[in-house]
Amino acid sequence: MTRYILRRLLLMIPVAFLVTVGIFVLVRISPADPVLAFAGEERDPAALAAMREEFGLNQPIPVQYVAWITHLAHGDLGRSFQTKQRVLEAIAERLPATAELGLAALLISVTIALVVGIASAIKRNSFVDIAASSVTLAGISFPSFFLGIVLILLFAYVIPGRIFPPGGYTPIGQDLSDNLRHLVLPAVTLAAGSLAVNLRQVRSSLLDVFGHDYMRTARGKGLRERTVIARHALKNALIPVVTLIGIQIGAIIEGAFIIETIFFWPGIGRLAVTAIPSGDYPVVQGVVLVSAFSFMLTTLFVDLLYAWIDPRISYGRVTA
Amino acid sequence: MSGAAIPVVLRVPREDRIGAIAYFARRNPRMIVGGALVVMWLFLAAFAPWVAPYDPIKVNVSDALIPPGGAHLLGTDDLGRDVLSRVIWGSRVSLSVGVISVSIGFFVGVSLGLAAGYLGGVFDLLAMRVIDALLAFPALVLAIAITSALGPQIQNAMIAIGIVAIPAYARLTRGQVLAVRAREFIVAARTIGCSPLRIVLRHIFPNVTNALVVQATLATAFAILAEAALSFLGLGPQPPYPSWGQDINYSQRYLANLKWWMSVGPGVAIFTAVFAFNFLGDALRDALDPRLRRSA
Repeated sequence: MTRYILRRLLLMIPVAFLVTVGIFVLVRISPADPVLAFAGEERDPAALAAMREEFGLNQPIPVQYVAWITHLAHGDLGRSFQTKQRVLEAIAERLPATAELGLAALLISVTIALVVGIASAIKRNSFVDIAASSVTLAGISFPSFFLGIVLILLFAYVIPGRIFPPGGYTPIGQDLSDNLRHLVLPAVTLAAGSLAVNLRQVRSSLLDVFGHDYMRTARGKGLRERTVIARHALKNALIPVVTLIGIQIGAIIEGAFIIETIFFWPGIGRLAVTAIPSGDYPVVQGVVLVSAFSFMLTTLFVDLLYAWIDPRISYGRVTA
Repeated sequence: MSGAAIPVVLRVPREDRIGAIAYFARRNPRMIVGGALVVMWLFLAAFAPWVAPYDPIKVNVSDALIPPGGAHLLGTDDLGRDVLSRVIWGSRVSLSVGVISVSIGFFVGVSLGLAAGYLGGVFDLLAMRVIDALLAFPALVLAIAITSALGPQIQNAMIAIGIVAIPAYARLTRGQVLAVRAREFIVAARTIGCSPLRIVLRHIFPNVTNALVVQATLATAFAILAEAALSFLGLGPQPPYPSWGQDINYSQRYLANLKWWMSVGPGVAIFTAVFAFNFLGDALRDALDPRLRRSA
């Protein structure tokens, strides 16, 4: 196991290097001049040249990359052109909101997927199964931002009483019930996107298990159906479901950009989206970097967890 | 239909494939529904100037915010522009981004996968690390990063979504190449002196096409959805040109006034277009990929 972990970590190094190169190149190919963006109203060529010198922008590109990556290693993602705030600080401020939204969505999505997925696998071709399959199919194609808008329309405006607010955020520490009221619609919207994939996965992995000989043996020796499902089927079927959580994290980060924009949720996604039109590259770059690394680390963690749960997976061989 | 079988052995696989699709289409209504919706959207996109009842960008304030019905089937927006016409014209953006970005992903990804799988060695190692790096980003985040760096334009959205689509093709192709590379017919081709390029294009590539057709269809669905998301965030075509995602974003400010039709038109359009390609892709997968048949 230790060898497997080490090997996976080693494989991550070139990928992480390429990711940083990719993000660095993206910012450098951008047609906008960061100095002009940072300078604001300042147009004096001498001042601009001094600024260019100060930021090291007249150095060769590889030198600039090394400087950037050195700063990065010290946790320095630069400063926002607009607010002059440290990017890492800005991200850290907004991370709790994104994490809250993400966790709530994960909880909703996995719970519903498990309950409905198990029900539709056990009662195959029943009403529940057919309804769940249709919803799954529709859910994959339904754009999350449109769902968000439909939910806002219904729960904030059409249904009397304004059950949930159309957007905004109250910190947990300030007012918990208000925080939760604001959380419901964005969390449901974010959960809906991944629910379809999860449901499909739970159902198909259960159906897969049902076909195995040990299920017949369990039934053959006279166990109650409930015991068969809970002790024999679920235990085996849930192994692939662990990967779901890994897949989720990507969907949640992606969703954060869109959902936070619709619901005015002050997370890192919204931070990046509001920075785009003003060409505030350090912020966009920082958020993308943080997203990519959290995605990579979670995927790695889930793979390791998977190998640990399922003894059939050999640690020796790593498939690329 | 030319039912008479031509006794040319080399043609059998293609006949088989068309036969399999036709047989499956009769038994599988998903392909008909998905296919019909795809054809409908392609038709609307191609003939938008003739099909759309009004000019999609002409402002007509006296007709502002008319609910659906009568002269404006899907209503009008706050500037009096016909929502239906904007939806029809918007399909041009969505479908062209879908087709072009999928082509970019297809061309680059398949070439990379063929080369990596066939050449192996250092090239394979390097190419696959680049693919891993692309996969290290959540897909949409990468598309957002690329488009925001290149500038909010439809061409850049195409490039961004195309780059995001590369890994799936590259991995799929490489896997298939590795699977067939050691088979006897490849060894035979090499023995009779075929050049590597000929082996790759004439002997290996045809074995991968079925899986690629399925991937391309599903990738088009993703591309349409991703374009809508980019436009929604203001990274697609710029106003006043119609685009589904951007129109939904714009309509958000009228939700409080219950002008729901401004959102519903483009929203349903995105849904049906994405659904069509997903549905067709699923059906094609069942028809063309026997290993996956019945497994869903």
